[in-house]
Amino acid sequence: MSSFLGPYSLYLHIPFCRHKCGYCDFNTYAGKEDLQPDYVRALCAEITQFAEAAGERLPLHTVFFGGGTPSLLTSQQLEAILSAVSEAFELLPDNEITLEANPGTVDLASLQAMHAMGINRLSMGMQSANPAELRILERQHDFDDVVQAIDWARAVGFENINLDLIFGLPYQSIGDWQRNVELALGLNPEHLSLYNLTIEHGTPMEKQVGRGLLPEPDPDEAAEMYIWTMQHLNAEGWRHYEVSNWARPDDNGEPLACRHNLQYWRNLPYIGLGAGAHGFIGGLRVADVLGPGVYIERCLNGALRKFPRTAATASVNEIGPYTEMQETMMMGLRLLEEGVSSSDFEERFGKQLEDVFAEEIAYLRGLGLLEKHDDRWLLTGKGRMLGNQVFMQFV
Amino acid sequence: MSQEHIRNFCIIAHIDHGKSTLADRLLQLTGTISDREMQAQVLDTMDLEREKGVTIKASAVRMMHTGKDGQEYELNLIDTPGHVDFGYEVSRALAACEGALLIVDASQGMEAQTLANLYLALESDLEIIPVINKIDLPAAHPDDVAEEISNLIGSNPDEILRISAKDGTNIEAVLDVVVEKVPPPKGDPDAPLRALVFDTHYDSFKGVVAYVRLVDGKIAHQDELELMATEAVIRPVEIGVFAPDLQATKNLSTGSVGYVATGLKTVNESRVGDTFTHNEQRAEEGLPGYQEPKPMVFAGIYPVEGEDFDDLKEALEKLQLNDASLVYQAETSQALNFGFRCGFLGMFHMEIIQERLEREYDLDIIVTAPSVEYEVLMKDGKTLTIDSPAELPDEGDIEEIGEPWMEIQIFTPTDYYGAVMDVATKRRGIYVSEDYPTQGRVQLNFEIPLAELIVDFFDQLKSRTRGYASLDYQFKEYRPEDLTKLEVLVNKESVDALAAIVHKEHAYHKGQALITKLKELIPRQLFAVPIQASANGRVISRANVKALRKDVLAKCYGGDVSRKRKLLEKQKKGKKRMKMVGSVEIPQEAFLAVLRLGDD
Ligand SMILES: Nc1nc2c(ncn2[C@@H]2O[C@H](COP(=O)(O)OP(=O)(O)OP(=O)(O)O)[C@@H](O)[C@H]2O)c(=O)[nH]1
Ligand code: SF4
Ligand SMILES: [Mg+2]
Repeated sequence: MSSFLGPYSLYLHIPFCRHKCGYCDFNTYAGKEDLQPDYVRALCAEITQFAEAAGERLPLHTVFFGGGTPSLLTSQQLEAILSAVSEAFELLPDNEITLEANPGTVDLASLQAMHAMGINRLSMGMQSANPAELRILERQHDFDDVVQAIDWARAVGFENINLDLIFGLPYQSIGDWQRNVELALGLNPEHLSLYNLTIEHGTPMEKQVGRGLLPEPDPDEAAEMYIWTMQHLNAEGWRHYEVSNWARPDDNGEPLACRHNLQYWRNLPYIGLGAGAHGFIGGLRVADVLGPGVYIERCLNGALRKFPRTAATASVNEIGPYTEMQETMMMGLRLLEEGVSSSDFEERFGKQLEDVFAEEIAYLRGLGLLEKHDDRWLLTGKGRMLGNQVFMQFV
Repeated sequence: MSQEHIRNFCIIAHIDHGKSTLADRLLQLTGTISDREMQAQVLDTMDLEREKGVTIKASAVRMMHTGKDGQEYELNLIDTPGHVDFGYEVSRALAACEGALLIVDASQGMEAQTLANLYLALESDLEIIPVINKIDLPAAHPDDVAEEISNLIGSNPDEILRISAKDGTNIEAVLDVVVEKVPPPKGDPDAPLRALVFDTHYDSFKGVVAYVRLVDGKIAHQDELELMATEAVIRPVEIGVFAPDLQATKNLSTGSVGYVATGLKTVNESRVGDTFTHNEQRAEEGLPGYQEPKPMVFAGIYPVEGEDFDDLKEALEKLQLNDASLVYQAETSQALNFGFRCGFLGMFHMEIIQERLEREYDLDIIVTAPSVEYEVLMKDGKTLTIDSPAELPDEGDIEEIGEPWMEIQIFTPTDYYGAVMDVATKRRGIYVSEDYPTQGRVQLNFEIPLAELIVDFFDQLKSRTRGYASLDYQFKEYRPEDLTKLEVLVNKESVDALAAIVHKEHAYHKGQALITKLKELIPRQLFAVPIQASANGRVISRANVKALRKDVLAKCYGGDVSRKRKLLEKQKKGKKRMKMVGSVEIPQEAFLAVLRLGDD
């Protein structure tokens, strides 16, 4: 067991979608709905196995249902999973339980049930309000579905809602993007995840661009959109706390950040269960088998394994102290307000950040990409635009 | 083995006509290599050779064979490369043999290096045995090819062997003909030792391993030997034969082919073309040896990181031990700092050296655009030889620049007559004459500046003739030409390594094309980078590489860490492979941009 006392975060992967979107390279499958009931049983089994291997109920402060499209699960299925979680772990009182949902896959009743079982944060895959853009993305919903879903969610009591949007799409103008943002803001979300489109290797969209069926988005225009977004949201009182994430401040003036994701960016331990899920715990990075079929097979028939492995674990990699320090930088600098605290670093690793990375820091400072504010190392304004130039110094 | 029972022969042909595949069959048939150890082109041992399916270096192998007369023969085979750049390897192999198998592809017929290598073999007085290969191919037309060959060397077309090296048809007959037709070596066993070094390779344990052909006398393993030209005296670490790997023996007899592991560590003491003799009983005179190979193209090779200079130097030394035709000397570039000016036999040779440095020696290097050697007559009457645009003196001091011109022969089906004309004349080629060696084929002869030849000429020729044309060339003379230096400024500073010497008439056009290409190839930096080309003090073309505006991974969550890390690692590696010139990172491709300006 690690010396880390918690609390931990738990990620649960749901690898089902109605249709595979053209840009998506996640571990998710369309047309495998019939596996869903077995998958849920397998996931519950894995949760239990994990806890047995741990030999104790680890404290959790966040749970994240990601996918895929977790909102495709029935209320009973979600219920079953959550009750396995609360048996296997100690779910702390002030918890954050997020579920990723796609518009068009929820209704009043399902949202009602989710809220009732303790899910307290919704992350809605809006992506765009523009029908032409939604078609290019091969999304299965329109903007009305988003409006409807948010209405229902508010009605049943959700007070923490995120909207996911993508910018830098083929054919998208800066005006198109601004309209999307305005429409999203009109829905009064607490949180916004605004991602620059990456054309991922092996996706249908990559092929379309390769064949000239879609224009390759202009990176300079995407830069313009990003800059506009930063300025606009800043003026509207939003906090840009991570490269692609903005949150409204809460009553204490703190951004209502996604606590689950903060765990990643702070490079703190998390547990990942479900097909293809990754965990980082006890100095080990573990990953489960990718395919839902094999996953089910393994979880339902597998024997107990040594912590933090489960029957579904497919790979285990030890993260040495130096790598962990590098990753702490690479992930932590994504947090634009928080950055990496020099004193926290020293407390955690027993080493001075400025010694370990003296060369990298000097180089990046020289380029005007990195700066220190009191105790914290942060990306500069320029560094935000060119984060990779910084992150790559820590790999 | 008695001298009467030794046969030394090489296999020569145009590229890809099946030399190495025939060697495979011969090795198998003689049991030199078991079927289990057999793999295609087994003599092509270098990784690069296997990957490209091309022989780069000649290799020797000894085979034992029982002839039709029931007697045992020692057959020493040398497989040679067919690529035009490696004609020098062929000429060395020829000097170690009494006979040559001239392979001709039954579907392709005669090509440029068929002729070139045939002439080399005839000059060395070798017994030529023509062999038509690949008769299994549906497109084979062996009768026509036999006709072509007999027109050329006067043999009876019906007597020319027809084989398939691939499926093994008629291979036994090849061995019989070798035994029958190739004369045994003539040397005098009792005369003082004279053994020709026809190749070398370097082995970290045995030092320079010299490939030898014994002309007179014998070698025993404890003998003290002397290399006549360098006067280096050695006691061999080992002597032996190629079986096909090095196999130590106690003796090497007159007329045979084998190796002497010298233990020497540098190429200066053990040169290809030198003659071994006995230290005690010296021969009067060394063997004729070889003409030094003449490098045709020159390029700078620089380490990406200055600190790798010594490693690069060591790697070049090692490569030279295996490749006598590589020449280099240290040079300094304002932009690239310390590196080497290297001379190559051709562009393919240059590419091979580059790849070997990168792969076998794991070096990150920058290779500059190749240049030819110019003769510069100065106003003060002096003549300079320069092989790098950076060395070109001030225009005002120059009386005249002499540019190397070549004679070239292009072999092609007559259908492509027009295309070949077009490719050659667009590159300042001057038509000289044409021959019709066989029905449907034409040999077009041109004169053309070498500088034009090294810039994608061969690629263009191949693509315009659907791969049918082949090419051979020889140096003709230096001619005065109206040349000028095209300079490139990156971020307002002149980068000597990007400069080129071009014909004045083309300067404007090439300058524009070069800047367009560089703009494509130089990645966006953290700041905008102006680039311009100038000639005769005038700016010809300019462009701007825009600043990199946004470069940041949109997403990085728990499940992504290892993947995103890999992406960043890759990006970092790409960055590391670029050369910092001033404050601008320039990738390797940019230095070769001048080669890729295209036809338009
Ligand atoms: N069909 C057929 N293919 C053959 C025959 N002999 C060789 N090849 C093929 O021709 C190609 C070239 O063969 P190599 O033996 O490498 O030719 P090479 O003459 O040694 O080539 P270089 O050393 O590069 O000049 C290979 O793909 C062989 O498999 C043959 O008799 N029939
Ligand atoms: S809904 Fe999300 S996870 Fe599913 S295919 Fe589309 S982008 Fe991928
Ligand atoms: Mg070969």
